Amino acid sequence: MPITRRKFFKVAAATGAGACAALTAPPQASAANRPADPGFGMLNDSTRCVGCKVCQVACKKVNELPAESTLGDGGRLFDSPRGLSDRTYTLVKMHRDEDSGEATFVKEQCMHCLDPACKSACLVLAFEREETGAVTWNSRKCMGCRYCMIACPYNVPQFEWHRAIPDISKCTLCHDTRLVHGQPTACAEVCPVDAITFGHRDELLRIARNRIAADPDRYDPHVYGEHEVGGTGVLYLTKPKVSFASLGLPPFGYKGVPRLTESIQHGIFKYFIPPVAIYAALGGIMAFNQRRNKLKGETEHE
Amino acid sequence: MNKAAALRLKFWTPNVALLVFFMVSAAVFSYFRFFHGFGSVTNLNPNYPMGLWIAFDVACGVALAAGGFTTCLIVEIFGKHKYHALLRPAILTAFIGYMLVGMAVMFDLGRWYYIWHALIYWNGNSVLFEVAWCVMLYLSVLAVENVPAVVEEYKDKVSLPGPLALFNNLVNAFLHVADKVMGKVAVFFVLGGVVLSFGHQSSLGTMMLIAPYKLHELWFTPWSPLLFLMSAIAVGPSMVVFEASLATYFFNRKSEINLIGDFAKFIPWFLGAFLLFRFGDLAWRGALPAAFVPGTYAYAFWVEMALFIIPFVALMNKGVRFHSVKLFLAACSVICGVVAYRFNVFLIGMDMGPGWNYFPSVGEFAVTFGFVAFGVFLYKLAVNYLPILEQQH
Ligand code: SF4
Ligand code: SF4
Repeated sequence: MPITRRKFFKVAAATGAGACAALTAPPQASAANRPADPGFGMLNDSTRCVGCKVCQVACKKVNELPAESTLGDGGRLFDSPRGLSDRTYTLVKMHRDEDSGEATFVKEQCMHCLDPACKSACLVLAFEREETGAVTWNSRKCMGCRYCMIACPYNVPQFEWHRAIPDISKCTLCHDTRLVHGQPTACAEVCPVDAITFGHRDELLRIARNRIAADPDRYDPHVYGEHEVGGTGVLYLTKPKVSFASLGLPPFGYKGVPRLTESIQHGIFKYFIPPVAIYAALGGIMAFNQRRNKLKGETEHE
Repeated sequence: MNKAAALRLKFWTPNVALLVFFMVSAAVFSYFRFFHGFGSVTNLNPNYPMGLWIAFDVACGVALAAGGFTTCLIVEIFGKHKYHALLRPAILTAFIGYMLVGMAVMFDLGRWYYIWHALIYWNGNSVLFEVAWCVMLYLSVLAVENVPAVVEEYKDKVSLPGPLALFNNLVNAFLHVADKVMGKVAVFFVLGGVVLSFGHQSSLGTMMLIAPYKLHELWFTPWSPLLFLMSAIAVGPSMVVFEASLATYFFNRKSEINLIGDFAKFIPWFLGAFLLFRFGDLAWRGALPAAFVPGTYAYAFWVEMALFIIPFVALMNKGVRFHSVKLFLAACSVICGVVAYRFNVFLIGMDMGPGWNYFPSVGEFAVTFGFVAFGVFLYKLAVNYLPILEQQH
């Protein structure tokens, strides 16, 4: 893929496309089976990734994170570190599909869900889904309860287990460091083989479909993240012989993760009618029983 | 009706020394937790961010303090005043229980000094938000409900030690006001406490529903809130029986078996309703076959079920209910059943993804034991110096 084209998308997306989409896509457009969402995202094409980990390094640089080593940890040297952590927001891992035996490199990170479970779970609103599409975390609000970690289906938010005053940390889609300055994410910018494409989510979906159409032998026809968990800002492509599940992308449903809890919560507390009704009902029962007991007492005295 | 009175036994006994030992060892581990991070004490890890402290100290703590609102419901709202003697100890234990839950939450919050953020940043979508508010409000309600005991003991008898004696009149005046006000508003608090309990007991059941892909189908059900509430209602009277039995034993009191045995008749009703719902839900969702797939989940499920079903059957029998040891064991079984249920939902039934496992560390156990010991310590302190338990002649 020519560099120029890649640059074009990045710049177009990072500067104007978002605003244009917001202007030209009235809410009604969502009827066309996609959320009217002005956010950016990334397309991770696992068929292209060569596992060089340059993106991982770029992420560490822009977020000023120290290196981690798992040398001496036994076993696989390539996956170093082994998983996301408070110091590693993105990670390239090698996966092997159990059925086909085929190995693939894939980048792991926050999916920047359109309906983020982390945001719904956090009781103090420390998570926000920004207009850029980035799901960010606010240090000034978080009380460190770690409920967001339970909620996230991808186990993305990390906790600083070794600090007395810990933070939650995760990929920010470079919201503060780059997006707000009109720059694409650091990882997408440095990828030498164009395995990461940054851009408006709609645009990314179009690119993904074009790639699949242009080379159906190379790709599984499914774009992961288009609908999973209500849609994610980060999308994935895979080879036909490598299941998404083997890449750590389980076949989740298309409903937003927090839909159930939110509807239960709102049902139980709808306009405070249910609790007030229970209060009133119990009050009635109490008054009735008190009266009855009193009458009984009086008859006994007679 | 007998009057409640402070026990005024000798306070420092060998048992109390044991409690102090547990509390001190918890304090040692808490030093590391607060100054060197969770990693230095707990086995928590990226995939198991919540462990024993949330599952036991909070989720079970709230359930086991349910004796307060269930007794309130039975005695005050349904007007069964013959169980009045059980009300004060139940309210007291609930208060202590919730206080410990609050402390345990502080322990488990990475940024505990921001706990007040729950008051100002509101996310009505968050289940935890609801739990936090209800627990906070209910703790205040319980504090108020304990006021009459303090008033009764100290009104017109305030004598603070040393220089604090200056405040004697002030405190006394305050107690008089509290006494008057309580007489008028008590009923609102009684009702409010029950409604708040309904709220957060059920919301605890909603909590793990935020993780549909992690919680096993034996426990992941939209009816979880109702099941949690029903199990709390079932365990409430069992906790009352448990505490009354222990108080009888440790304080050398006359057996209250006639009263608590009679009170225990509610347990099979509540428990039966819960079990009916539990199995109905499993069958309706088609999840029952999962209970017969050998493995940790199925075993955990059957342990939980056995702990509920055995006392359910046993307590229908009068001979069991009016036999102090058998009744005590049945109550213990219900309590363990609820503990197992909460653990299954909060820990064992949660498959948090490959590569990570969790078993609580020594430090986590020590802190949990410390909390329990502190609760017992406070209870002993309270019954010793406040009119909680009824006088016996
Ligand atoms: S992947 Fe997890 S952390 Fe990222 S937005 Fe979705 S729920 Fe939140
Ligand atoms: S750990 Fe922080 S960000 Fe996560 S849910 Fe709790 S308060 Fe919110």
